Amino acid sequence: MSKRVTIDPITRIEGHLRIDVEVDQGQVQKAWASSTMWRGIERILLGRDPREAWLFTQRFCGVCTTVHALASVRAVEDALDLEIPINAQYIRNLIQIAHALHDHVVHFYQLSALDWVDVTQVLKADPVKASAIAESLSDWPENSAKQMAAVKARVAGLVGSGQLGPFAHGYWGHPAMKLPPEINLLAVSHYLQALEYQRYSNQVVAMLGGKTPHIQNLAVGGVANAINLESEAALNVDRLYQMKSLLDKIVSFVQNVYVPDVCAIAGLYPEWFSYGAGVTNYLSVPDLPLDGKSTSFELPGGFISNGDLSSLKPITGQKDATWRKAVSEDSAHAWYKGSGGLHPWKGETEPDPTEWDEDKKYSWVKAPRWEGKPAQVGPLANVLVGYASGNPLMVKWTDAALDKISAIAHVKATPAMLHSTLGRHGARAIRAAVLSDLAIKQWQLLTDNIVKGDTTIFNKPEFPKGTVEGVGFHEAPRGTLSHWVVVEDGIIKNYQAVVPTTWNASPRDSDGTPGPYEASLLRNPIADAEHPLEVLRTIHSFDPCMACAVHMFDPKGNNVARVKVL
Amino acid sequence: MARCAIYGIGNILMGDDGVGPAVVRYLEDHVRLPDDVVLEDLGTPSLDLPSYLAGHDAVIFVDAVASDAAPGSIRLYTREEIAATPTGIRISPHEPTINDALILLDFAGTGPRDVVLVGVVPETMDGGMALSAPVAAAVGRAAGMVMEMLADQAA
Repeated sequence: MSKRVTIDPITRIEGHLRIDVEVDQGQVQKAWASSTMWRGIERILLGRDPREAWLFTQRFCGVCTTVHALASVRAVEDALDLEIPINAQYIRNLIQIAHALHDHVVHFYQLSALDWVDVTQVLKADPVKASAIAESLSDWPENSAKQMAAVKARVAGLVGSGQLGPFAHGYWGHPAMKLPPEINLLAVSHYLQALEYQRYSNQVVAMLGGKTPHIQNLAVGGVANAINLESEAALNVDRLYQMKSLLDKIVSFVQNVYVPDVCAIAGLYPEWFSYGAGVTNYLSVPDLPLDGKSTSFELPGGFISNGDLSSLKPITGQKDATWRKAVSEDSAHAWYKGSGGLHPWKGETEPDPTEWDEDKKYSWVKAPRWEGKPAQVGPLANVLVGYASGNPLMVKWTDAALDKISAIAHVKATPAMLHSTLGRHGARAIRAAVLSDLAIKQWQLLTDNIVKGDTTIFNKPEFPKGTVEGVGFHEAPRGTLSHWVVVEDGIIKNYQAVVPTTWNASPRDSDGTPGPYEASLLRNPIADAEHPLEVLRTIHSFDPCMACAVHMFDPKGNNVARVKVL
Repeated sequence: MARCAIYGIGNILMGDDGVGPAVVRYLEDHVRLPDDVVLEDLGTPSLDLPSYLAGHDAVIFVDAVASDAAPGSIRLYTREEIAATPTGIRISPHEPTINDALILLDFAGTGPRDVVLVGVVPETMDGGMALSAPVAAAVGRAAGMVMEMLADQAA
């Protein structure tokens, strides 16, 4: 007898992800992903000055502020064929790297780790053994038995108080939780340390962006960071070295804590390399431009079909002819008028809500398609495209992570295993390691260029009469983001943001083909329908970032996800 | 590390949800704060909120609040009232609330000692950048309450 399980945020205000799964014989047989809130936020931009659009777009999402700012200025620069100074590229690159490292670490420790780590098991852990295991994984200095014992005591205090604090709603003691007590202790210890390292990333963003979470330093045509080695108020050598010391700390945490933790946890749950593949077409765009015209990039982009790395079709830049044509959004199963796939420059956002109906319309998310096919985006796409391209850093860190996982799991981990729930976590850690190396490289490029005497930061944009179209893309922490703008006589005429979570949380399209979340849940095991931990594992592995539009303090707390089993 | 932080929470693109940021702008324009007071429009930080709270002795939030009271009404919420809001499973990084952030930092031992929330009741949360008339009229009063709270911290 099949059961229907719905995980749905109760709120009527915040737009979030609703997941419906049909479970039979202990496995998911069918799945639907929907967003419960209309995201027509782009309409705020119509009729505005394109030079200011980024100030509004960074409010689309409270978690991904900088990424929407960056994609927006790139879109307008693309429409104008405007080259920007190389200092501006390096400064933007450093901001995006610092933001991504913050985001990946937060996602893993604060949102996902507790799907795998059973906090209540910490009480059974031997701190001396936990310390020894940690020291075998990396030479991070904050893994002493004394530190582990202090964390264990902190957890014991929490459990003793009868309140589980941040862990109150974990699926503790769930049959799918399998880590040894010492690994649970190690993970909770790093969960606490991660809080401190997240702040360092924010400090880097604030140093360059002026403020965080909403940066102030972008401009269509470059950045607004005054560079003057003689001035206290400008970007100078002192500031550059302050930033470097923060970057060094973040790099060390990523490489010595985050990456080994993900490898250890993955190595102890090897069966999760066989669940959650879903859609294995992967889309990733090139990013970290190395010239003012954005024609060469630190990390490559491309499209991979059906999980076959040899099928890689590179995307060379925003001017790439295939890229500019291939993206469309289908609203056959989304609450918008029309159904056929429209190119984003022609995109419409006219709402047409009905009841939730799995055969008709059931989501506020449109279905983005690449040449008509669904595509998975995110760190896994980024890493697979980088690996298939032979990018040296991607190859180095992917091979290192697979070796580490192999040693712990006692099975040979291969790139093919990355098409999975755990593969997405592994890839996020691999990407963070690559970006951490590139943080230092970009810092050096910026410093060398400034010391050489180049202080240029801005090229003034000129808007022509008539209509121009532009696209700005960015390989954001959750994957390929693109902003599509149409400018007429210097005023915004159309604006569409195709965000990473739209690709992944896509509903079915006109052909009935499911999106990545929906496909990834098929055949996931479900040990206990009342406690669908396994569904959360797979969905969290994508790092969902839903409609992001509104927050309100609700004293009644009506924004708690509820699980309903029918 | 600063002693006190004043944080506006909310989305300026969603009507009255932007009241927290509007109060922050009002304070920036009208009040000279001591150097050790942090004043920031945090937007909708959710899962990122702990980064901004750790290390402060006191935090004053300004946010829209769900309430049956008339739009533009202002009410203070104590830490105990914030702590009484339910917590639960989180699917996306947008769901963690102020309470989740405080609980996490309490566990880490780095949470603020004093927390208060100045809540303004919204009229509309539909898309748009303008505040409704009753909420716009409440901005100055809410800012005044923030300053009173700040004076209490100093006392």
